Amino acid sequence: MKITTIFALCALVASAPSMAADQSMVFTSWGGTTQDAQKSVWADGFSKASHITVLQDGPTDYGKIKAMVESGNVSWDVVDAEGDYAVKAGKDGMLEKLDFSVIDKSRLDPRFVTDYAVGSFYYSFVIGCNKDAVKACPKTWADLFNLKKFPGKRAFYKWSAPGVIEAALLADGVPADKLYPLDLDRAFKKLDTIKSSIVWWSSGAQSQQLLASAETPYGFFWNGRLTALSQTGVHVETSWDQNITAADMLVVPKGAKNKAAAMKFIAYATSPAAQAKFAELTGYAPINLDSPALMTKAVRDSLPDQQAATQVNTNLAYWAKHRDEIATRWYAWQAK
Amino acid sequence: MAILTAKATLAQAHPNPPRRQPGGPIRYVAPAFILIAIFFIVPVVMLLLRSVLEPTPGLENYATLFGSTTYLRVFINTFLVAGIVTLAAVVIGFPVAWLLVVIPRKWSALCLAVIVLSMWTNLLTRTYAWMVLLQHTGVINKVLMALGLIDHPLSLVNNITGVCVGMVYIMLPFIILPLMGVLKAIDPSTLRAAALCGANKWQCFHRVLLPLSLPGVAAGALMVFVMSLGYFVTPALLGGASSMMLAELIAQLVQSLLKWGLGGAAAFVLLVVTLGLYYVQLRFFNPYTKR
Repeated sequence: MKITTIFALCALVASAPSMAADQSMVFTSWGGTTQDAQKSVWADGFSKASHITVLQDGPTDYGKIKAMVESGNVSWDVVDAEGDYAVKAGKDGMLEKLDFSVIDKSRLDPRFVTDYAVGSFYYSFVIGCNKDAVKACPKTWADLFNLKKFPGKRAFYKWSAPGVIEAALLADGVPADKLYPLDLDRAFKKLDTIKSSIVWWSSGAQSQQLLASAETPYGFFWNGRLTALSQTGVHVETSWDQNITAADMLVVPKGAKNKAAAMKFIAYATSPAAQAKFAELTGYAPINLDSPALMTKAVRDSLPDQQAATQVNTNLAYWAKHRDEIATRWYAWQAK
Repeated sequence: MAILTAKATLAQAHPNPPRRQPGGPIRYVAPAFILIAIFFIVPVVMLLLRSVLEPTPGLENYATLFGSTTYLRVFINTFLVAGIVTLAAVVIGFPVAWLLVVIPRKWSALCLAVIVLSMWTNLLTRTYAWMVLLQHTGVINKVLMALGLIDHPLSLVNNITGVCVGMVYIMLPFIILPLMGVLKAIDPSTLRAAALCGANKWQCFHRVLLPLSLPGVAAGALMVFVMSLGYFVTPALLGGASSMMLAELIAQLVQSLLKWGLGGAAAFVLLVVTLGLYYVQLRFFNPYTKR
């Protein structure tokens, strides 16, 4: 009797993965509070509606995508990637074309739609400040680059991506509509003036730790991480002055094994309700134009898309074109 | 080489070595060899090939690597940190190992347990702990400022200081454990004899203990040095952008810049240096060949 039970259990365990394999796909993102929200809102909701299991993986790694596509053994079906990467990877043939008969792009923010990628969410780089640690908070990029007025360490994003270079140019007095093409010499010259006072953060969690502990009482942050931090009771001040927007995008690596499921997942994730709920949890803005109507006013007012008056858009097409060249220079400058 | 050594020790242990089996010891190491061939040798060869084939065939990647001041700086950082860490680990580890050998057994067992436990604790946790201790608003700076010893917090992290402190701590067990083995094997009566012959404490250490333990020191130091050369996590977390080490550079080239050829070249340079040091160890500090 007992043995039969064990056999039955074994059979059940053995059959479970194969059952799942018919109806599963893998979603990869950056981990932390952002992926938690993507899992609970997008993946769990999608699984309930479609009976397709969504397995989570991460963090996003462009090297891994390249390795998978080159070897033809692609284990990620949908990946949350930075916008500039998504645009470039599409051009480089690393991604599947999206099926817009499944994904409704008519109401998606056109800034974040290409043949190979649609927006996942969009965020602003803003100035964050720990009010308990300092008497005055920097309000503008020029303030953040002013060591006399605001002495001490400040946090900046470590990786080469749209954002820091734009902030340096804005701080140096370049008008927002004259940013592109980027004057890299001028940007690095400006960055040189504060380089010794910069602490680089490489992950959202680290940026929160730096600000909460006042190791860096101010700096350059993702707006959503500041929202999350203030929810934990830290007195954070966010300055939206010239907030710099960029987007994450959803992409399907070339040769993904569950392409059809991937398209359906993207359709679900970019739907008005899923985008609205994700925004509510994370403080990042929705890329579906119908989502704001589904949110309460309080939530709507806290999101980057309500800060359009002072907003500066990064030029993702420019970045996609010059990504490698800027990155090479960026890391060389950092290591100097 | 390893097989020869094994044979030699086998022959020492058994005056009448066991009868040879056909195929010899080779067939026993075959599974391990196949595993290493598939998962180590083949990928390394492919990496080497990439470094001379991508993006165009030739030695371009190596020229870039050795021709750029940025990468040169990374190499210097790497050897500098590995050197400092090794030196500090030896200076701190030697007295600890000696103490563990001479104190009563139950105390040494307790101390050893602490050392081994710290070694088994998750590396990330330990590194983050150092981050919390060393930062501007961290415990160390707060205490020093409260005591009035400093006015402004010291920069102890996000630079080469942080990397060295964190890595010395991580590497200490790797020098203490082999050193203990060597120190234990030294006959205490040699020290007593030296003392009886009129040597003072410093002479006992400097003329007797140190020379006798030198092969162990050298072997442990070399191991720490080699491990430090390729270390990733601690430098990535406790270092700043300008204290980048080789492993970080390789990760950046492979993951962020997608320059696999150049990353392969950097990895290959690291491998050659490591193998070179390993050869030095086998040639000069191998305890078996000394005997």
